[in-house]
Amino acid sequence: MKIGFIGLGIMGRPMALNLLKGGHQVTVWARRAESMQPLLDAGATGAASPAEVACGQELVISMVADAPDVAEVMRGVASAGMPGLVAVDMSTIAPAAARRIGEDLAAAGVDFIDAPVSGGEVGAIAGTLSIMAGGSVAGFSRAQPAFECMGKNIVHVGASGAGQVTKAANQIVTGMGVLAVAEAMAFASKNGVDRSKVREALLGGFAYSKILENHGQRMLDRNFKPGFKSWMHEKDLNIVMQTAHELGLCLPGSAATAQMFNAMVGSGYGEEDSIAVLKLLESLSGQQ
Amino acid sequence: MKVGFIGLGVMGRPMALHLQAAGHELHAWARRPQSFAGLPAIVHATPAELGAACEVVFTVITSSADVEGVALGEQGLIHGMAAGSVLVDCSTIASDVARRIAGRLAEKGIHMLDAPVSGGVQGAIDATLAIMAGGDAAVLERVRPLLDCLGKRIVHVGPNGAGQVAKACNQMIMVAAIQAVAEAMRLAQASGVDCAKVKQALSGGSAASKVLDVMGQRMVERNFSAGIEARLHHKDFGLVLEAARKSAVPVPLTASVAQQLNALMAMGMGRDDTASLLRVLEPEPEPRPH
Repeated sequence: MKIGFIGLGIMGRPMALNLLKGGHQVTVWARRAESMQPLLDAGATGAASPAEVACGQELVISMVADAPDVAEVMRGVASAGMPGLVAVDMSTIAPAAARRIGEDLAAAGVDFIDAPVSGGEVGAIAGTLSIMAGGSVAGFSRAQPAFECMGKNIVHVGASGAGQVTKAANQIVTGMGVLAVAEAMAFASKNGVDRSKVREALLGGFAYSKILENHGQRMLDRNFKPGFKSWMHEKDLNIVMQTAHELGLCLPGSAATAQMFNAMVGSGYGEEDSIAVLKLLESLSGQQ
Repeated sequence: MKVGFIGLGVMGRPMALHLQAAGHELHAWARRPQSFAGLPAIVHATPAELGAACEVVFTVITSSADVEGVALGEQGLIHGMAAGSVLVDCSTIASDVARRIAGRLAEKGIHMLDAPVSGGVQGAIDATLAIMAGGDAAVLERVRPLLDCLGKRIVHVGPNGAGQVAKACNQMIMVAAIQAVAEAMRLAQASGVDCAKVKQALSGGSAASKVLDVMGQRMVERNFSAGIEARLHHKDFGLVLEAARKSAVPVPLTASVAQQLNALMAMGMGRDDTASLLRVLEPEPEPRPH
């Protein structure tokens, strides 16, 4: 398939590489020209703008930072005048913003799919991302061959915005999950109990989770390298809290968690993994 | 002095009348003409037209976007106000928006003060508002005689935006205190103790506060008709949390209170008084349909 790809950062680069490996013809664009080089070396074609990326493609995929960036590149895609094109955004943005972009693109005859991912850089490299999609069934089906090169658990959740709602729900669970595991760790050691033994014991019971297993281990190793940067988790939780504000939705746990992530950014842990919330808890409890 | 007024709601109307009572020539513009009913003012067709006719213009409107539209929009004040004239914005909006508007007006030599108020409808009627001003100190001195018609405590907090920062701090403290009083009243009520007596007892001690006095009394009387509508506090908390996020300052209590306000909105009490935070804590008589 002829696929345009916009945004070649930590996530976008390996995702685009996996499309090439899958035998697709890929045309790329990134704001910083040097980000394009690894893709060009691997056989992709370079383009000069989002509009040029869209020209002659069956599918365009974007993986950028935030809603204004998605809106901007998608305006470029729409300006290419390719009715029937399917445009897929795999960034994490607010559901309301995704719906708005979808409406704007529909006016240009472009079918927009919101398809954020979970699984981090590791999942992007391995091609094992979870992909949660919202939008038309027809558009989703057209994008399916591309999704299969990038991910494993691919679910069409519902109408436009439903993918982003799912991602926000994912960030609620993972955000509170990381904080819960970190609090349990701090609780164990402040009580003079070996945290690694506590983790091991909990893994066999109802507290078992992937986060306890993976993030818990990294907390024990004090390996704070990202992974998933805490400023990005903070950004995602802000999407959750803004949506809750707009809808009149009471989310006390998410609100408390969002403030811990806010404090992490303020304490200079923004570029570290989310599990650095453990360091914040330790300093609040005199466990330095 | 020729004074313009935009925003004749529950707060703006008594404020405009005070200025007129002090002998100033009152000019007005409103989106809905019925807002002028019973208000003897010179009515203008657009903010720009009003701006051209006045030396000082007051705005008391709801959202950042509304203030921006009235000030900088196609028919906005910026297209009418003369160099040297002053816009006094008494609305509660984001401090960065206030700074942006002031910057644009300054390009045309128009002064602006962000001058949000605290004290509610009663304070507006009694002309006892607290006014927290951001902007040039000399400009504040120029309009101080007008502000003296509206309030008792007028403080120059700092440059443009500083007034809105002070107002955000005011809302954080006040609404958190309302939540604290609501929780205390709910505990007393659930323990079978007379809320009125509890409030009376607390008023003499370390927990005494204006919020306990005024909002506690509303809760005791179960008088939830709005002084200030809770939806406005809900709006303000959105601004505060956004500002805290931008500065990477953790505000755990504010975030928690914001969730109670979200619940209040979902329960359909947005147009009632914020004392309704008590009702958010009370058990429902029967399950609510989804």
